[in-house]
Amino acid sequence: MKVPEFLQGASSEVDIKGPGVFLQFDVFGVTIRITETIILSAVIVIGLTLLVLFLTHDMKKNPEKKRQVIAEWAVEVVDNLIANTMGKGYEKMSPYIAALFCSSIFGSLISLTGLRPVTADYSTVLTWALMSFVMIERAKIKADGVGGYLKSFINPLNIISEASTPVSMSFRHFGNIAGGIIITTLIYVALTGLSNLICDVAIFTIGIPAVLSLYFDLFTGFMQAFIFINLTMIYIASAKSE
Amino acid sequence: METNLSFLSIDVGTIIFTLCNLLILFFVFKKFLFGRVHKILDERKNDVAERFQKADDAMEHAKKLETEYTDLMEGAKEKSAEMMREATQNAQKRSEQILAEARADAQQRKAQAEEEIEREKKRAQNELKGEISELAVMVAQKVVEKEINVNDHDRFINDFIENVGDLK
Repeated sequence: MKVPEFLQGASSEVDIKGPGVFLQFDVFGVTIRITETIILSAVIVIGLTLLVLFLTHDMKKNPEKKRQVIAEWAVEVVDNLIANTMGKGYEKMSPYIAALFCSSIFGSLISLTGLRPVTADYSTVLTWALMSFVMIERAKIKADGVGGYLKSFINPLNIISEASTPVSMSFRHFGNIAGGIIITTLIYVALTGLSNLICDVAIFTIGIPAVLSLYFDLFTGFMQAFIFINLTMIYIASAKSE
Repeated sequence: METNLSFLSIDVGTIIFTLCNLLILFFVFKKFLFGRVHKILDERKNDVAERFQKADDAMEHAKKLETEYTDLMEGAKEKSAEMMREATQNAQKRSEQILAEARADAQQRKAQAEEEIEREKKRAQNELKGEISELAVMVAQKVVEKEINVNDHDRFINDFIENVGDLK
């Protein structure tokens, strides 16, 4: 991406890269890449597992510790959200929705530490969207029976509408987070260039990117996680009523 | 070896790895977060229900005891009233009995006293009789100035006194 001429103090070209590859090796002709995404998502999963084990360790009938109250609060929030959005009979969905939400929000918020958000890798959100898609289709087959489910594809437009669900879900999430990265990078470069017009120190890059990061990292990260789980819940709940 | 994937790329390895992560997180949440918390919440719910049940039972028991005691108290009141009545009756009877006894006793004593008086009177009369006859004999002796056969004169005097006594 070319940088406009009047801003060309810092760099003449902005290169926004995909996730970095740390290791790459071939196993039986299959190339396996250990990317930034894989390492960070592993860190997130391990962190969340340790957090859950810590919160629910040694629980008592009469809560003595604050962490038990937090664990109970979290469980009740998720259970209530599912009861309100999907209705009754979907209690077993709680852990999946919670896992999806936590993966998404921590995958986005990890950008606050300066690392590359996991959700800015299309493979990640595509996996989640496909997983949700499988669950949605499973709910439809359960509700209509295999025959009824297949019959709905007599109209070929239905195939497109079904297939569009995971695509739209994954691109919505990816687009918001990745777009945030692009805009933040562009603004950072622009601010550096603007500062260079005045003095040698990149004075404008102090403060302004932090405010923008509040929106692009915190707000967008939370909104996309929320939208993603809400769409999953609504699609699964509506499979029954259709 | 620092390279990068392209910005919009689909990497099968990442997909498989992410899927595993999601499933691991799902099972961790299911087993350690939701499972444990739901277990505790259920336990607490049962505990609360049990406590309420116990409180209700205790309340019922207390009410039952209360009615029992009220009944008992009423019975006791009645019984005490009856006992009072009986005692009053007994006392009355007893007093009447005592009175009757006292009256009978007094009657007896009166009769006894009367008898005694009669006996005393008789004794006094007899004594008097003796004295008078002696006196009469003494008087007569004085008058006749000689010894009088006491036996003969006694008879006369006694006759006289008899007559006097009859007159009286």
